[in-house]
Amino acid sequence: MSSSAATSGLELLEGSTAIARAAITAGCRFFAGYPMSPFTGLLESMARLLPGSGGVCINAQSEIEGVNMALGASAAGARAATGSCGQGIALMQEAIAETALNETPLVIFNMARNQQDYFQCTRGGGWGDYRTLTLAPKDIPEAVEHTQLLFHLADRHRIPTILYGDPLIAQTRIGVRIDPLELPPLPAKDWALDGSRGGTGHSRQIWTWAMGKATDPGPGPDRHWQAIAEKFERIGAVEQRSEGFGLDGAETVVVAFGSAAKFTAHVIEELRDAGHSIGHFRPITLWPFPGEALARATEHARRVLVFELNAGQMLDDVRQHAADRSAVLPIGGVSIHESGLSYGPLLDVPVIRERILAAMRGRRRLAARAGLSAGSRG
Amino acid sequence: MEQEVLIAGIGGQGIQLVGKTLALAATLAGRHAMLAADYGGEMRGGPSQATVVVGDAPLRALPIVPAVGAALVMHDRFVGAVPERLRKGGLLLVNSSVVDVDAERAARYAYFELPAIELARELGAPAAAGLVMLGAFARLSGVVELERLVEAMRSLLPPYREQHAAGNATALEAGWAAGADRSATAAAG
Repeated sequence: MSSSAATSGLELLEGSTAIARAAITAGCRFFAGYPMSPFTGLLESMARLLPGSGGVCINAQSEIEGVNMALGASAAGARAATGSCGQGIALMQEAIAETALNETPLVIFNMARNQQDYFQCTRGGGWGDYRTLTLAPKDIPEAVEHTQLLFHLADRHRIPTILYGDPLIAQTRIGVRIDPLELPPLPAKDWALDGSRGGTGHSRQIWTWAMGKATDPGPGPDRHWQAIAEKFERIGAVEQRSEGFGLDGAETVVVAFGSAAKFTAHVIEELRDAGHSIGHFRPITLWPFPGEALARATEHARRVLVFELNAGQMLDDVRQHAADRSAVLPIGGVSIHESGLSYGPLLDVPVIRERILAAMRGRRRLAARAGLSAGSRG
Repeated sequence: MEQEVLIAGIGGQGIQLVGKTLALAATLAGRHAMLAADYGGEMRGGPSQATVVVGDAPLRALPIVPAVGAALVMHDRFVGAVPERLRKGGLLLVNSSVVDVDAERAARYAYFELPAIELARELGAPAAAGLVMLGAFARLSGVVELERLVEAMRSLLPPYREQHAAGNATALEAGWAAGADRSATAAAG
């Protein structure tokens, strides 16, 4: 008797399962990883669901093995992914750099324990001139969309892409529908090592150094890596995504990403209802950071408050792009659950509300102490 | 309108199963539901808490809910976030077999109590006290129908636990019946 459920189309799914389903809907047919909380649920879901969808899921013996298996599957033309939490993705950095430099698409799920992996996601830890395109969903329905989008963007640009999730996205259960995302068509993978050139004498190559071979010398590392760098510059310009509200003329702008942004948005709606001049800005892509949109959003702001659950990582990007960098103040901090596996008490509405209000009061007091008029920047 | 309920108790009381059953029942009824679980590494005896939110539109609730309209307290050793999160006047349903709430505190809420463990024992399903509470809560709050709870409970049972289906259903029904009679669950305070 689940007729109404059938009508609404909602299924109660753990976030990890919803993401696995979205990945399979996007055509992911190879997944390899090594369990680590809170990523384990995604690996288990893939192990349960992929074989029945014509795919392969391998519980590798280490993260390094997992990422390289996925790289191999992708090089052969499959939509492939791996994942871990930040601690395991730290081990994968060499392979991720290779992936970026040899232009193999790959999706990496960072089902992180907290927000301390912002630098890892956006700066990368490998070698060479590359970036990893990173989407930070605010909740499970958005993670379902982002997962599909990341496979598309990885293929379109032939790059590694990252979903920056967290325990709230991985482990909360919610009524959700896995709708296929409509995306533009992509060119055929005419670079894939899919065996189609066997015996022709014109085998394809996937190369990091582009040194080529006797019959095909290749561009060499100088030209190859210049082209890679230019490609990432182009991606950086065209793939910026962000959203916001209440930004028109707001005195205070709060910037937050991922799950935390859902909490800050909630608080800011309350504060706006109470008459405060405050707006919200959420980078959806962490790289490329939506710098131009942030500059516009903060044009009239007297203070730009950055709430993130770390010691101040996105803060660097906000300072770089805010209309007035001296108006930027961190109001987040390190806050870890006693288990070490999730957020601590800082990610909570009353605490965030108090931090925002304190920053607004403090800034005014500072301005008053400096003998400045209330209207000027303190 | 979103209905939130915080379920608190200790590991082994079926707190997480109660949360899952409620969230799944609401989903089966075509409603939007969220279940946020919070429990320690221990199998039994450690703190265990679950929050369920149900609504008729895509939920606005956060996965760490700042305030709830209802709470279900299963054990006095862990009441979790209930004191600071339950709104004044909210529905508080207490397992009076092990939880004792003073009259002053009870007066702040729409307070109900149920000797869930004794009831479950009488039914021959001693492990199903949580489902007795859930049945009563569903009736008191109107959040979901009994049939949906039973359907959800059955679909959550793994094959090796199927022998508990009948006892669990009886427990849900007994709770549902107790919840109908507000005077039976409403405490003097």
